[in-house]
Amino acid sequence: MAQFQLKSLRDLFVVVAHPPDPDSQLVIQQFERIGCRTEAAWPIPRDLPPSTDVIVAAIGHDHHKALKTSLKRAGSSRPDVIALADYENPAMLELMLDLEALAVISKPVRPFGILTNLVVARNLSITNKTLLARIRRLESRMEGQKKIAKAKSILMETQAISEKDAYKIIREQAMTKRISIDEMADAVIYAHDLLSGRTNDP
Amino acid sequence: MASVLQSEPISVGVLFSETGITSVVEKTQRRAVSLAIDEINANGVAGEFELKPVFCDPASDPKRYAAEAERLIAQGVRFIFGCYMSSARRAVLPIVERAGALLFYPTLYEGFEFSANCVYSGAAPNQNSLMLADYASEHFGGRHYFVGSNYVFPYESNRIMRDLLTARGCTVLEERYISLDPSADDVAHIVDEIDRLKPDAVFSTVVGEGAVRLYQQYALQDQTRARSPILSLTTGEPEVEEMGADAAEGHFTCAPYFSSLPGSANQRFVTAYRSVHGAHAPLSACTEAAYFQVYLFAEALRQGGPDHILQNLPVVEFGAPQGRVRVDRSTQHTFLTPRIGRVNASGTFDVVYDHGIPVRPDPYTVEPEESGWSRFVGSLR
Repeated sequence: MAQFQLKSLRDLFVVVAHPPDPDSQLVIQQFERIGCRTEAAWPIPRDLPPSTDVIVAAIGHDHHKALKTSLKRAGSSRPDVIALADYENPAMLELMLDLEALAVISKPVRPFGILTNLVVARNLSITNKTLLARIRRLESRMEGQKKIAKAKSILMETQAISEKDAYKIIREQAMTKRISIDEMADAVIYAHDLLSGRTNDP
Repeated sequence: MASVLQSEPISVGVLFSETGITSVVEKTQRRAVSLAIDEINANGVAGEFELKPVFCDPASDPKRYAAEAERLIAQGVRFIFGCYMSSARRAVLPIVERAGALLFYPTLYEGFEFSANCVYSGAAPNQNSLMLADYASEHFGGRHYFVGSNYVFPYESNRIMRDLLTARGCTVLEERYISLDPSADDVAHIVDEIDRLKPDAVFSTVVGEGAVRLYQQYALQDQTRARSPILSLTTGEPEVEEMGADAAEGHFTCAPYFSSLPGSANQRFVTAYRSVHGAHAPLSACTEAAYFQVYLFAEALRQGGPDHILQNLPVVEFGAPQGRVRVDRSTQHTFLTPRIGRVNASGTFDVVYDHGIPVRPDPYTVEPEESGWSRFVGSLR
């Protein structure tokens, strides 16, 4: 499993989205001590500063929508969220969950623990991304297996050949045409649908 | 305007161990604080304020440090000078933080800490490990052996040193830990292993009594000792005196201060200290840090009174025995000048490397390499 490299801490760009007050000041100062590039952003901008890695966000109803919007607009470069919380009642916890916060800094802010939260959040984020990529890979592999099975059964039925031979044909054709076995299986399925007059809905 | 010495004396806690495993160094820190307070009061360095020391002996036990800190706070003390081991500092800080008091901590440590209620005047890793790694890789071979006392400072120091040496193409043969109060067997086992592995140098983060026993046992192995010098961040004259100069000769320490440094400020300090405690009384970087931080405090006190110490500290620059020092506002750690000394036959250090200018403290550096040199070497002005 990929792990967060402590050495990369100083490459992080942290945005603190919290009304300016002594607590947010302490947070900014501590991230600066740690050596991260740090910027305050309040009110919450429609677009977060480019290449924001981590956003430390105030939790509250007033600006929740704005925060959600700017996170959504960041798309695939959505930063990791660390919540800066002063209540732990369920209404506030719901907001925090809705932001998919990976760590929480609680108020009143103490410098101790901020580094730990940052490291935990980054590690979770990397783990999540790795797992997601793996799930996508497995899904597409499963999809491919299904297609190959279908293409094989078409060939077995129409050509009256064994499963082994059917696979061999698909593989050889894929090699000659320099395409993947998946793609070849697709071609077989499309061709069959076409010849048998069916639409090629999946 | 108030005239001189009209204010109530300012009580300052002096929290160093007179007994126990780290008393070797802490005794000198206590004496240095005491000396500084006497000088400051005699010369009116703190202006209208007089400093009144309140001494405690926490006996090298973190629980006792906490108890003594509680006692000081209960007496109304708001400023404490003290602590050597990280475990003691961590025990005292929550108490100091709760009370809104201030701890002056005059000891090198492993970094990765900031408390608004602490002023750190010992070296952070970017002010010693980096220079020691450079020196070790240039002057000794590439095979190193690590031994440390079993607590937080050695673990983090070794992590850093391993990174630094590896980046310089060196290898670490073994990384061993022994108890803070090691038995003769523990120490003999380490020395045997070094004898067998024949490293080019031994990086030791063994502290206090343990260091005394390690160097003494090591001295019995003539060949090994000649081949593999011990490199340390902590071993200073107090430890050397305890173990005997003949056991320490030829080994190296990286620190911001050695008593052999030139300069009139150091002359004055050494003379004053030794006139009270003996012509050969040992001094280390921890002793000097304990001394100059009282001066930094006194100057900040003079400038803005007891309620604005932290605001005023970063603007105070003091000609300490090691040279100019100043507290960095952002980290509350101190600009210090790194040096490397080699123990000579008389038990003092010959300076073999001098960084020449104060280095900005960078307590959160994971990799001193990329951030160290160019980014954080800065002169005071």
